[in-house]
Amino acid sequence: MGAYLTRRVLLMVLTLFGMSVLIFVMLRLVPGNIADILVDSAGIADPKEKAKIARELGLDRPIFDQYLQWVGGLVRGDLGFAYVSERPAIEEIAPRIPISAKLAGLALFFSVILGVPLGVISAVRQNSGIDYLLRIISLSGLSLPSFWLGLLILMASVQWFGMIPIYTNEPRSFIDEMLLLSIPAAAVGFRSSALIMRLTRSSMLEVLRQDYIRTARSKGASQTTVNYEHALRNALLPVVTIIGIEAAFLVGGLIVTETVFNIPGVARFLVEAILWRDYPIVQNLVMLIAFCVVVVNFLVDMAYMALDPRIKYAD
Amino acid sequence: MRNRLAIIAGGLVAAVVISAPAFAQKQGGTLRVSHRDNPPSASIHEEATISVNMPFMAVFNNLVFFDPKEKINSPDKIVPELAESWAWNDDKTKLTFKLRSGVKWHDGKPFSSKDVKCTWDALRGDEKQEIIRKNPRKVWYKNLKEVTTNGDNEVTFTLERQQPSFLSMLAAGYSPVYPCHVDSRAMRSKPIGTGPFKVAEFKRNEAIKLVKNPDYWKKGRPYLDAIEFKIVPNRSTRVLGFVAGEYDLTFDSDITFPLLKDVKDQKKDAICEARPTNVHSNLLVNRDAPPFDNPKLREALVYSLDRTPFSDILTQGNDLRGATMLPPPAGVWGMTQGELEKLPGFGPDIEKNREVARGLMKELGYGPDKPLKIKVSTRNIAIYRDPAVILIDQLKQIYIDAELEPIDTTIWYNKIQQKNYQVGMNLTGAGLDDPDGVFYENFYSTSDRNYTGYKNPEIDKMIDEQSAMTDVSKRKAMVTKIEQALLKDAARPPITHGVANTCWAPAVKNLVLQHNSIYNGWRLEDVWLDK
Amino acid sequence: MAVIDHDAALAKAGANVSGFWGQAGFLARRYPLGAVGAVLVLLFVLTALFANVIAPHDPLSTNSRASLATPGGVYWLGADFMGRDMFSRIVYGARISLAVAVGATLLGGILGVAIGLMSGFIGGWFDLATQRLMDIMQSLPLLVMALVMAASLGPSLENTIIAIAIPLVPSVARVVRSSTLSLREQPFVEAARAIGMGEVRIAVRHVLPNTLAPLIVLGTAQLGSAILTEASLSFLGLGIPEPYPSWGRMLSESAAEYVRTAPWLVIFPGVAISLTVFGTNLLGDALRDILDPRQRT
Repeated sequence: MGAYLTRRVLLMVLTLFGMSVLIFVMLRLVPGNIADILVDSAGIADPKEKAKIARELGLDRPIFDQYLQWVGGLVRGDLGFAYVSERPAIEEIAPRIPISAKLAGLALFFSVILGVPLGVISAVRQNSGIDYLLRIISLSGLSLPSFWLGLLILMASVQWFGMIPIYTNEPRSFIDEMLLLSIPAAAVGFRSSALIMRLTRSSMLEVLRQDYIRTARSKGASQTTVNYEHALRNALLPVVTIIGIEAAFLVGGLIVTETVFNIPGVARFLVEAILWRDYPIVQNLVMLIAFCVVVVNFLVDMAYMALDPRIKYAD
Repeated sequence: MRNRLAIIAGGLVAAVVISAPAFAQKQGGTLRVSHRDNPPSASIHEEATISVNMPFMAVFNNLVFFDPKEKINSPDKIVPELAESWAWNDDKTKLTFKLRSGVKWHDGKPFSSKDVKCTWDALRGDEKQEIIRKNPRKVWYKNLKEVTTNGDNEVTFTLERQQPSFLSMLAAGYSPVYPCHVDSRAMRSKPIGTGPFKVAEFKRNEAIKLVKNPDYWKKGRPYLDAIEFKIVPNRSTRVLGFVAGEYDLTFDSDITFPLLKDVKDQKKDAICEARPTNVHSNLLVNRDAPPFDNPKLREALVYSLDRTPFSDILTQGNDLRGATMLPPPAGVWGMTQGELEKLPGFGPDIEKNREVARGLMKELGYGPDKPLKIKVSTRNIAIYRDPAVILIDQLKQIYIDAELEPIDTTIWYNKIQQKNYQVGMNLTGAGLDDPDGVFYENFYSTSDRNYTGYKNPEIDKMIDEQSAMTDVSKRKAMVTKIEQALLKDAARPPITHGVANTCWAPAVKNLVLQHNSIYNGWRLEDVWLDK
Repeated sequence: MAVIDHDAALAKAGANVSGFWGQAGFLARRYPLGAVGAVLVLLFVLTALFANVIAPHDPLSTNSRASLATPGGVYWLGADFMGRDMFSRIVYGARISLAVAVGATLLGGILGVAIGLMSGFIGGWFDLATQRLMDIMQSLPLLVMALVMAASLGPSLENTIIAIAIPLVPSVARVVRSSTLSLREQPFVEAARAIGMGEVRIAVRHVLPNTLAPLIVLGTAQLGSAILTEASLSFLGLGIPEPYPSWGRMLSESAAEYVRTAPWLVIFPGVAISLTVFGTNLLGDALRDILDPRQRT
């Protein structure tokens, strides 16, 4: 167990290290850099001015030095300076994290309270009309681009309510903020809820076919008891996995949704930073996302181990 | 008492104050404005975009300023700001300003002639000055020999030769006075000015908040307590926000004509004003590489354009027909429609023009079965791409089979400068409706903004010549001559001049938009809210 | 007392079904949702292949008089800001989506198969290294990975395909690697080795065909996500450039500006994306049930 944990943690560190190299190299392959952009925004094309800016930002130094400086800083908790705002990157990133986290949390909440019960119903009533209907709905959730869903919601709310649910600077209270975020969260959450529902259904079906359920049934337990007490508890295990993984992968949905609804979160910030070639922001954000994914994966595995005594990780 | 004196010194300002009853104006309130994108920085001198000018101009003052109450900027409508008065010497090569005393920067330090000297030394290209890092309009001050101070309240600009437009350049929104004691990094993120508003907060990608400068030298101004610019990159969200009452004022020229009807339908009381943006679309033609190193082929391009569909599609027919200078009535220096039609390719009979173009193409061996294959490059942004798509469609008419090459906006100028293109669709904005500003910036062989690297000694000479002319009508004739020469040479053949709408809620009072440059006039000190 | 109707039961189980149409008909009855999916996918592929026949207008030609024309009449689905026919653009957009979906899935699939097979066969340090590389790639969500890739490659059709294909590689490689590992020890592979067959030949002739079923299932799922990712990338301005009529691109910028005045600009491309992805998902589910009975739901 201890050896397994050590190995897992080492692997996590290795993965993050690899990610840091990958993202660093890939960003340097992007045509144009921040000096180009800054010169471009002034509408000039003076190589001298560009070289000056590049020197000021340290872009002219060997790429390996730049990498060491970044990673060295990262280890010490120093994220460096954002190129565009010329402020410490942490000051740019940190205030945006809670906004995205709230949005993601809300989206996940929606997807779980919708996905799990509907998945169970769908499984219990396998091949009934309602099962087909729910399956179609869940598949459509996987098929609608979430930015399109967002645009439709915007269109509808202006058409019918004459207002738009765009995020304003400082919502008055937590409740206000949650209400404001709930619409974009629903747009993101729809997709995850579909995924969770499908997984709940299939794992529920698998459990329902198991011997111990048959045994329970033959011992005279009522259908409801069997379905909900025996089957659901066991079916939830893989669902926990997918919820965990979805939590990290919601970022993909957040990128477009934050753009559509103009929410100043980290996901939209990532896109803007990529377009601005603001390396310190992009690198750190990507590492943040990778860190979340890796940690969530780890936690899911741990939860699995805790919940299912049959699983033993030997090495 | 002092405040009244200051107003009287403003001359024209006084007239308006008398005509508008003072009791009508209300103090206070926050003006909420939508902003289209994240400004690259807050430093007006380092940038060349309305994204910076509109929000940050109110932080600064100029020495002199185009009268903000006038819709048309013209050399005879210039009012004092930090300068109380100005005078030329006899041979018009020395311009001396008497400066206002007792003015303080937002950080409390006193303003003096040293700040003026610092600013223009930096703009002239003095590398020792640390108040700017980039200098896109260096060519504006090509004729400025030196700036000298005489005590704290007097400063003299010495020119190499006379240049009547020099004062106009100082009056443009792009010419604020910067403080000597603040470095360029601070000016880019939280600039210090002497203007009616201070920067309270500049949150990237989110918002810019300006608050009233209580110690503003012009007493009783500004009326507003604060101005808040909200950065919303998606135009539909911005428009919806304006319609829903989230903003009092739209971003400059944000409401295109196809959107105008919708805004009017949704918000019946919205006040919308259409005005030329003084941004015109034009073609960049790479004359240094095949195939367009052939002058005949360039000429064919000049004769290929039908400007009506551009205007019809992009602005529902509201665009203006003009050459490089903005056409009248808003433009002070542009040609009349009659003069314009004499220019190559501007004739009203499009078929005839295209016949000329096709003739040239056939001469070069191209035809319907053997079209010339080219790439039309443009920045990968809608306002550049849309006209490029129309252009490609039109080029088919003269046996040119073009493909669009969208260029990442970050490497656009790079690519043009390296002459790594054939034809480019470009937009050129004029910070100042003045031939010196426009011609020097875009066509003078040593200009930083002449990114096509256009070099024509004849044109350079003509530009210098008109610049020194004091007789306005003679100068205008010279400007027309330059336009003809540029077009004949296919140096950035102009397509159309943009027109767009800016809208505000009826509660916003006293807002005057400038009709020959969107980059001017955003001081906002006279604007008040009737709420 | 129920009488067992053997004929009916046999028919239901698919006995005595012969011929292509017979089998198709049987499968359609057995998997009605899958059949709907197959029809949608077929429709999509045919539209893409015959776009030039179906589209009534040139999708690129602009027309000032038709700017924002309402649906109906000459322009069945209306026209966009530039006066380009929406129906024709959507029809041609199918080509782009098909090219991206098939291109990215195939490219990702081929790379994934190659890496997976090599991992499984060579093992050792190679396996270890590729596994770690796959770990790294999977530590970013698909869209984020594609976003960074697309930005570093620049906007074009080919680059978009590559940007979407690369993030698809790890899942394919993992599936292939794990089946390779289990198949490698199977008697028929041992036998092939015993008669002196080369490792590469064994991999391609014996191991690969046996991993096809899960690969097809995975591939169909990836078709849908490739289409969605392309739409998102183009929506964010990093995918297929103008003037190519990509569905995602059609939803960005000017379309979004006219949500109120010209809602058809937003509705129809979105419907096209959704129906196509819906079709591939339905088909994918059915294929999984047919080909990979262990995962049957």
